[in-house]
Amino acid sequence: MNLKISALEFIEEVKTGNITVEEFTAKTIERINQIDDKLHAFLSVNDNALDQARNIDKKIKSGEKVGDCFGMPISIKDNMCIKDTKTTCASKMLENFVAPYDATVISKLKKQDAIFIGKVNMDEFAMGLTTEFSAFGPSKNPWNIEHVPGGSSGGSAVSVSSYECIASLGSDTGGSVRNPASFCSTVGYKPTYGLISRYGLISYANSIEQIGPLTRTVKDTAFMLNLIAGVDPNDNTTVNNNNEDYLKNIDSGIEGKKIGIITETIGDGIDPEVMTATKEAISKLEGLGAICEEVSLEMVKYSVAAYYTITATEAGSNLARYDNLRYGYEMPVEGYEFNSYISKARKNFGPEVTRRMIIGGFVPSAGHAGKYFLKAMKVKSKLTKEINEAFKKFDLLIAPTVPILPFKIGEKIDDPVSLFLVDINTVTANLTGKPAISIPFKIVNGLPIGIQLMANSMNDKMLLQAAHALEKTVTLPEIPI
Amino acid sequence: MVTVEEIEHVSKLMKIDVDDHSEYLEKVQTMISYFDILDSAGVESEEISMPEIPIEQLRNDEYIPFDEKLIEKMNHYKGTYVRAPKM
Amino acid sequence: MTKIGLEIHCQLTNLESKLFCSCKANYREFEPNENICPVCAGMPGSLPRLNQEAVKKATMIAMALNCSTPEKIAFFRKNYFYPDLPKNFQITQLNIYGDTSVGGSGTISVGDKKIRITRIQLEEDPGRLIYEGSSSKNQITLVDYNRAGTPLVEIVTEPDFETPKEVRDFLNILSDLLKNLGVADPSLEGAMRADANVSTRGGNKVEIKNIGSFHDLEKAAHFEITRQESLHDRDIPIAQETRHWDDRRKITVSSRSKEEDMDYRYFLEGDIPWVKINPEIRTELKSEMPESISSKKERYVTKYNIPEQVADVLSSDKYYSDMFEKSHTESNAKEVANIITTELMGLEDTREKREASKLTATHLRDLADSIQTGKVSRNSSKNALHEILKTGKSVSQIISDLDLGNVSDESELLKIIDKIISDESEAVEQAKSNPQTINYLVGKVMQATKGKADPTSTLNLLKKQIGI
Repeated sequence: MNLKISALEFIEEVKTGNITVEEFTAKTIERINQIDDKLHAFLSVNDNALDQARNIDKKIKSGEKVGDCFGMPISIKDNMCIKDTKTTCASKMLENFVAPYDATVISKLKKQDAIFIGKVNMDEFAMGLTTEFSAFGPSKNPWNIEHVPGGSSGGSAVSVSSYECIASLGSDTGGSVRNPASFCSTVGYKPTYGLISRYGLISYANSIEQIGPLTRTVKDTAFMLNLIAGVDPNDNTTVNNNNEDYLKNIDSGIEGKKIGIITETIGDGIDPEVMTATKEAISKLEGLGAICEEVSLEMVKYSVAAYYTITATEAGSNLARYDNLRYGYEMPVEGYEFNSYISKARKNFGPEVTRRMIIGGFVPSAGHAGKYFLKAMKVKSKLTKEINEAFKKFDLLIAPTVPILPFKIGEKIDDPVSLFLVDINTVTANLTGKPAISIPFKIVNGLPIGIQLMANSMNDKMLLQAAHALEKTVTLPEIPI
Repeated sequence: MVTVEEIEHVSKLMKIDVDDHSEYLEKVQTMISYFDILDSAGVESEEISMPEIPIEQLRNDEYIPFDEKLIEKMNHYKGTYVRAPKM
Repeated sequence: MTKIGLEIHCQLTNLESKLFCSCKANYREFEPNENICPVCAGMPGSLPRLNQEAVKKATMIAMALNCSTPEKIAFFRKNYFYPDLPKNFQITQLNIYGDTSVGGSGTISVGDKKIRITRIQLEEDPGRLIYEGSSSKNQITLVDYNRAGTPLVEIVTEPDFETPKEVRDFLNILSDLLKNLGVADPSLEGAMRADANVSTRGGNKVEIKNIGSFHDLEKAAHFEITRQESLHDRDIPIAQETRHWDDRRKITVSSRSKEEDMDYRYFLEGDIPWVKINPEIRTELKSEMPESISSKKERYVTKYNIPEQVADVLSSDKYYSDMFEKSHTESNAKEVANIITTELMGLEDTREKREASKLTATHLRDLADSIQTGKVSRNSSKNALHEILKTGKSVSQIISDLDLGNVSDESELLKIIDKIISDESEAVEQAKSNPQTINYLVGKVMQATKGKADPTSTLNLLKKQIGI
């Protein structure tokens, strides 16, 4: 049985009876058992997956209506709540937390008969770019297991690219879906802010993050988007997309579209291989009829500093509820007084999270807010103005997803600023709320390079059309695992 | 420049016991120094913007009880309370 | 010169649901932690869902207090750790990026003084803490989140009050105003709380928190003023600090928690967009607002000739002014108002009595008419009222059942009068020389008729018969 098929191919195979959901699920679990010891994408695997698969097969056989997913195995980043399932955010702080409700995206996919094959690894509380900050050990890049898979949705990207599942849901705060997608050679999507409900996503930086799918093809992403996008009364920040069909007319192409090459992303600090790949992508796009021209977004220079200031502030607040009184891990309150208890309990945060909390307490504090937090918010506003100006002239913006090739595990873990700067091409989309996608473009020396496209707010459909057009021009080698 | 005292003060504010403050000091100092770049962004006159929602789209005032006994899924004491350490 | 400012927290108890979720706004009837959901219990991944009606009611309160109301309102996070705070931050409102709270500056009259309102903000109430255990060693803190997320309106005033009495008068006016608007029931336990700040003789401002009731507020203000004055007299400077009201010892005590060191790291609440309240909505709200107390009072005085004292009492009470509107006619308005304020309010002086009462608008109208047409005397009407509350029978039924009908038939009355005159010859002689003393004889007639004689007719007939 071939696991190396896309979501749409899988659905077709099941519909035509070529495979059963049970067979495919069993094969998937076998694959996970085979390779996940090496890769460590999964934090937990669903024990009931086979039973669920059998039920769906029964429904199909009896002619009952089956959800659009037809039992497709999907992995879920461990910061989204699945009812009665452990949801740890890869943190010791939430070691024993069992979610009492389903996230909106989970209920929507449940209704469509998706099978959640397992919860996957991430940087603790989504703070990181390499999945090295997981409290339960890092994940490895399946293209070269000595290298990082990217983060914070590392487990998502690893599980999809190594055929441990067909698709995954991750979350993207500063590039956390696109960056691992690029490092592992999958498609990674961050929608317009508000397109997908965050209800049930454990917050890190709530004013800029979004849930996003990681898939093998752009069409698969459009398919997922159709199932999970839309306004949600449980999330006041969601926007109405008028039930847009993202798959329809996805083959429209990009003839005549104007694409801006962001100057600040092809200058200093870019690996030569990444530069070459970017130039190739631009040629391909011109070959498809697009018009490409450089455009400068001055604020990109300050975007990383602004991003980390804002996210640290929001994280400091969003993580305040983890006082271990209502949920968390085992630590009785006897013998403690309030302040000493929670200060001790919160020692269970890992070092990176602790650092971000300290920064998050510092930069918005009374004496420092003007210099740091307020300035960062103003950079965010000015960057948004700049990119809106750019979108008056251009339909899309292009950049390499990450300026460098996937690096070795442990290489940047002690150099915080160097690590921050890995995000420089991706944080703009989060700070401005614009949709962005990373598509796998090239493998160089066995390591993946992804290309990122951005569109204006609510132009997700057009963005997917452009990404699909570029994807069609790409052929990639097989993953060596 | 951030001092060890400031880090101690902030970790108290954030209610996290940090065993050795100087261990964090170096990395935190580096990170915060990087943020100094914001001073040269020239954004003093910018306004802070936020998304908007018209009042008509807000939730209707209806009592809908949660469909489960949530307290049973939290750490509870004597059946229905959450226990906190003494104040 | 004494300056007192207030921060009043009022729960919007008339709403159905909490500020950010659909749990019940009035938590009082539930067992501990029975009225919670992932949002108000601060579960991971939960998000706030703003209550539309709460925004409208808060805007109405702002309008009633003559405050400016902005076109867009925003919410902020106030970050601090406390076991009654499920998220360890409170979603509240601030005005640091322009006017973004639900009400800006306004005024309210207290007597002939104008008190300035600084701002009005919408925010969530925390949960409740219960302490068990006798000593500090075995003390257990228990948390009940039923109240967490209840909608609160915070009303902040300028330090315009000069005496504790002004504070009390203001609180009564505010209570009546809120009841009149139909947004809250201030009599519910814990529905209205207040903090005060007090400064004297130009000295530092002292904040007083933890005041449990309005009654205590007046006491606390009074105590604090006295405490400060005595320090002034001894040339000791007043420390700028926060003190809490110790209800047991009835004193203010310096708070060991250094509120001044608290850094709340305020920033915009990213889960709630700015809410646009366009001019059409505001106009609609204004027109939906119930008539204000002062407007009612004016109407009672000018239209129905109701005496000012009576109009004052009636207009301030929503329950009875509503009843007045339903029961009066053009001709008997003054009488209805009189019955309500002099008799009915006294008989129905508790919520239980009001709820148990069988009185309806028809009763009031009929009773007032009966008094005006002389069918029953004012004295007898008191007995009738008792019966109505108890039995709900019609006014005419009760008058006949209890034989309360006025004896106004002249011939009948004359018979009784003539008998009294013959029985009380001494008193009659006295009355001839000192007409004031005729009241004794009037009293005798009333006795003989069991109060049913019309006093005016009785007096006139007596005078005629005696010849004075």
